[in-house]
Amino acid sequence: MLGEILHILAAAVIAWVLFVTVDIFFELPKAGGVSGASAIARDIEAGGGALAGGNMMGNIVCSPDASAGTLLAACGVYVAGIPGGLAAALMVFIGNRICHDPGYAGTTGAVLATFIVYGFTLVGFAATDFIAGMVLAILSIQGLSHARASRLLARLWRVRQ
Amino acid sequence: MIALYLVAAVAVFAVARALIEKNTGRKLPYVNVMNFAVAGALVLLLDHPLSLVAAAAYFVGSTLEANAIASTYAGGVKR
Repeated sequence: MLGEILHILAAAVIAWVLFVTVDIFFELPKAGGVSGASAIARDIEAGGGALAGGNMMGNIVCSPDASAGTLLAACGVYVAGIPGGLAAALMVFIGNRICHDPGYAGTTGAVLATFIVYGFTLVGFAATDFIAGMVLAILSIQGLSHARASRLLARLWRVRQ
Repeated sequence: MIALYLVAAVAVFAVARALIEKNTGRKLPYVNVMNFAVAGALVLLLDHPLSLVAAAAYFVGSTLEANAIASTYAGGVKR
């Protein structure tokens, strides 16, 4: 039981690093992809956060990004191994197009996560650890403190620039 | 099993935060956390190959709804 909890926490850290890296690489903090993402960013800034971080958080809400890709890829690997993860990547790609998102952060994140999650299943992790881990990772960004999370993301975005 | 309970607890926590938050723009990220948790819980609960399709359909649909709510909140389409 303790082992499973530790696996979930480790998976959360791995998933966090993966999706934040891919999202920042694809410049999600630069601007809101749709007007709704920009509105969320402005409200987060008004609540004491940073605009760049708010943009990324708004974009995560408005279209499947690398975090959604990681979650669905972990689900796919749990259901059907690598083919399942790649099927999840295809569904994320379709989701991006439905949500008026011109980018490839979600699809790239899903493909990368498929191989990372599968790799970790070979060394004792379960794919379910990554499903719960990704939920914890998104909780840390979107569900605890928007002001603090957006300032952290803005700091990482400045490093990228 | 712990993964399922954890994901369910996160969903309930996110719903509570969304209910408490008054500002629509800041409410949506909490709802987004709930969507992640529900999509994860679907796959953990349903022992079937098509559970992945159910989770992806739910997730993409709920994201599109959040997108629509946010864009309407932002003022909608200007003509």
